[in-house]
Amino acid sequence: MVFPSLEFAFFFPVVLVLSWVLMPWPRVWKPFFLVASYVFYGAASAGWAVLLAAVTLANQLGAVLIARARTPRAQTWVMTGIVAVDLVVLGLFKYYGFFAEEIGRSLDAVGLGMPLPLLELALPIGLSFITFQAISYVVDVRRGHLAPASTIDFALYLAFFPHVVAGPIVRAREFIPQLAVPRDPRRVAVGAGVVLIALGLVKKVAIADFLARNVVDDVFAVPQAYSAPDVALAAYAYAAQIYCDFSGYTDIAIGLALLLGFVFPQNFNSPYRALSFSDFWRRWHMTLSRFLRDFLYIPLGGNRGGKLQTARNLMITMVLGGLWHGAAWGFVLWGALHGTCLVIEHQLRGRNLHAPAWLRWLIVFNVVTFGWILFRAGSLELAGQYIGQLAEPGPVTVATPAVLAAVIGVIGFQLLPPVPLERVRLWFAELPAPALGAGLAAVIAVVGATVPGGAVPPFIYFQF
Amino acid sequence: MPEPPESSPLHPPSGRRLPARDAVIVVLLAVLLLVLFEGPSIRHAGQDQQPGAERDVLRALGAPAGWVADRLPFDEASDDALAFLEDDQGGGAGTFGRAGAAGAGVPAVPSSSFDPAQLGEAAPAKRPLGKLLVTGDSLSMPLDAELARRLVGEGVDVDRDPHVGTGLSKEGLADWGELAARQTRRDAPDAVVMFVGANEGFDLPGARGPIRCCGADWAAAWAFRARSMIETYRQGGRARVYWLTVPAPRDSGRARISRAVNAAIGVAAEPYRAQARVLDMAALFTPGFRYRDARDVGGRRALVREPDGIHLNARGAAVAADAVVDALRRDFEVR
Repeated sequence: MVFPSLEFAFFFPVVLVLSWVLMPWPRVWKPFFLVASYVFYGAASAGWAVLLAAVTLANQLGAVLIARARTPRAQTWVMTGIVAVDLVVLGLFKYYGFFAEEIGRSLDAVGLGMPLPLLELALPIGLSFITFQAISYVVDVRRGHLAPASTIDFALYLAFFPHVVAGPIVRAREFIPQLAVPRDPRRVAVGAGVVLIALGLVKKVAIADFLARNVVDDVFAVPQAYSAPDVALAAYAYAAQIYCDFSGYTDIAIGLALLLGFVFPQNFNSPYRALSFSDFWRRWHMTLSRFLRDFLYIPLGGNRGGKLQTARNLMITMVLGGLWHGAAWGFVLWGALHGTCLVIEHQLRGRNLHAPAWLRWLIVFNVVTFGWILFRAGSLELAGQYIGQLAEPGPVTVATPAVLAAVIGVIGFQLLPPVPLERVRLWFAELPAPALGAGLAAVIAVVGATVPGGAVPPFIYFQF
Repeated sequence: MPEPPESSPLHPPSGRRLPARDAVIVVLLAVLLLVLFEGPSIRHAGQDQQPGAERDVLRALGAPAGWVADRLPFDEASDDALAFLEDDQGGGAGTFGRAGAAGAGVPAVPSSSFDPAQLGEAAPAKRPLGKLLVTGDSLSMPLDAELARRLVGEGVDVDRDPHVGTGLSKEGLADWGELAARQTRRDAPDAVVMFVGANEGFDLPGARGPIRCCGADWAAAWAFRARSMIETYRQGGRARVYWLTVPAPRDSGRARISRAVNAAIGVAAEPYRAQARVLDMAALFTPGFRYRDARDVGGRRALVREPDGIHLNARGAAVAADAVVDALRRDFEVR
């Protein structure tokens, strides 16, 4: 089930009502919400729900064994074992086909045959997010940041439907304590939740999908048919599209959680106003950045071992972060590009280079947008063709006023000072409940009318 | 490494707090208004779902929603108010709705039933391919992009027009009879590549009520629709149509539908052998109509299907594009 769908429009009100009715009785509420979350997740495939249950039980068993282990060494062994299981499951579904082909190709080159059967396994939606959250739980238990939760609390944490499909990646120690006491039914952030849901729908349906339909998909599919102004515009349009698509999903997820009484971490903070690459990663997919920092970069040694080791750790982290998005060399290169930029930034840190803020913004924004070409192109060959077309003079054919307004609007809004925008958000959030309900219905009707054929394309991050 | 804020960014948003009752009121009011203003759309959405529990639930909820909305003036008012936002892809007056059963007696055999090669005649002189329309449902992607990339340097104007989620038997999102007429009017293509079949299996109207998939009656009704489209696309013999069959999907339920669709495609194209070519993707990717993830590509085993077990991946689309370009070369001047 996906958020912008009719199924969800019927599912959510029922769950919302029953959730608040049952909230005072956690022993009833928790099984109810767990079942609701599994219905949401398993609607597309019952097999995925079974896999989610298996991952839940395996990690819970691991956490309990860690807590019972007598020595830190034993705890580490158990943790390593269960994290390895998580990564094998993720790797099997996400990377098997890619690596089987690559290994087969390499062995073919030296005269050996294909050693592995070539299978294309259907990636259960959200498995990457589920795996990362499970790992965060087990590692936090090992580090002593968290006691093992009850099985139902942990199962709820992994399956909680507002975040199960595409995050944000909520840490166990952020979410599980919220299950300890029933949510307060007298103090719900209704206005903030509704505003986020409406904003997310507008971002996804009215902007991201509009840009995809009218510029991005066509130009990225056949870049050779377009000249420099068109391919450049399409790259900026994709920068706007992917931001609106992913942050739109996150806004909806956070808004739904708020209506249910739960708080999720922020995942985006105007990333295109970043003045450095570190700043960009503090603002873009913040919960993934946190995860990579805490569970990869710091365990690798972080910046504790001198410039060379810091550079190595940064590159490993960012390349693996790129590979996390999918089994394709474009993602690896995208990660490597960001890793390289972060390394250069680290090397330059402390030197007296006083570039004006506008110049730093211009460099960061354009390099980030260039990186999106590698991310979106689909293959290195196509990425090469796309980049080649950036030097091909010619007419502008895809720049309509609506497209330009959408691209400039999405990027320009992020450059505005946050305070007035926050005031606007607060003004909407202060509206009385009937006005919020009517407003939400109006937004759904208006954005729904912009969807050709009535079907909203999937969120980009569902594939990761 | 990027250093996101050390402290957890788990801040509840600022602003007023309301009782949970108000959250319920907001959501229920929004749903009520949507039912009043968009009831018929809800009913249609239920009808357009693939068979299954979700469809049953949506139909059960959509029927009363549509009934209520039909009795109130809000739906029309909202349609009028929002019409300016809609992309011009609606169904309009469909041609399939008027399609009846074939009349009694033996139908005439048109000359277009014969490929000149069958008769030992010389093939007509090849003409340059100016405009190619690549269309269908999601199956036509990324084949459309692959063909566009290959032909863009050959002076061929490739119009990619996929209609995701649609089907010949799925009438809610698009009426392919009307759509084919519109595409032909708009583009007047020299050739049309059609790849459709991922969203089929819905009831088709018949003289004695709905025809359920996937027996001979359903295949005949589907073939009638496909044949009407070929008739439109071939523009009285001026254009060529290349209709791709559907490779076997992984899911056995879908395989049953695809088998009926493929049989119907063959029958639909039969009277137009001079202009309509059936390109057998089922045999190319799934010999014996047995699902496979991989096949030989350039002497090496390679994955050719998407993980969903339905669509072709980029490499599969390249293989399909080879077959399409070969067929185009037989009829047109394409380098």
